Amino acid sequence: MTTTTPRISSHPARAFWAVLGIGTAIDITAGWLLRQPGYIPQARVLFALLPIPMNLVLVALIVRRIRQLDEFLRHVHLEAVAIAFLLSGVAVFIYGYLQQAQVVHPLNFGIVWIFMVVFYGIGYVIAARHYR
Amino acid sequence: MKTRLRVLRAEKEWTQAQLAEAVGVSRQAIIAIENGKYDPALPLAFKLARAFGKNVEEVFVWEDDSLQEK
Repeated sequence: MTTTTPRISSHPARAFWAVLGIGTAIDITAGWLLRQPGYIPQARVLFALLPIPMNLVLVALIVRRIRQLDEFLRHVHLEAVAIAFLLSGVAVFIYGYLQQAQVVHPLNFGIVWIFMVVFYGIGYVIAARHYR
Repeated sequence: MKTRLRVLRAEKEWTQAQLAEAVGVSRQAIIAIENGKYDPALPLAFKLARAFGKNVEEVFVWEDDSLQEK
């Protein structure tokens, strides 16, 4: 009897979640390492750059998934991305002014992507409802 | 642009999911086209027409008067 091992690339959703999980683990590890004292500057630069490879794989998987979508869903996602892009810009712009007014802490750029994901979700809901 | 997609689909007694699968798009795409919320690009319009054995003009009707000769 022969057994077949499904290739990870043949299951886009599974590959996406696997890469996201590994990437998140690397991100957290890199953040933890950067908080530890005693490392030389070169090592700290290496820790800071550690998340790049897995994040690039994640980008490639998302791009591949977008190319598999039909024209209508691509249209919806394009609107969602446009809304997210603009809302993120407005949010960062306003946050900058609030920072000048000294009513908020300096922005941690490591959390900007969270705003982008939330705004993307909002954009997707708006676009999907528009075409319903 | 108006579409007779819903009528043609009803005549064939197809579900939106069946039509979506036949032309290789999502069910959301069929819903949006049927509701007149989204105009498909030419390749998809041809695929939809072919699925019903019709010409594109029999499925989609262009209603812009501005291009008509006076």
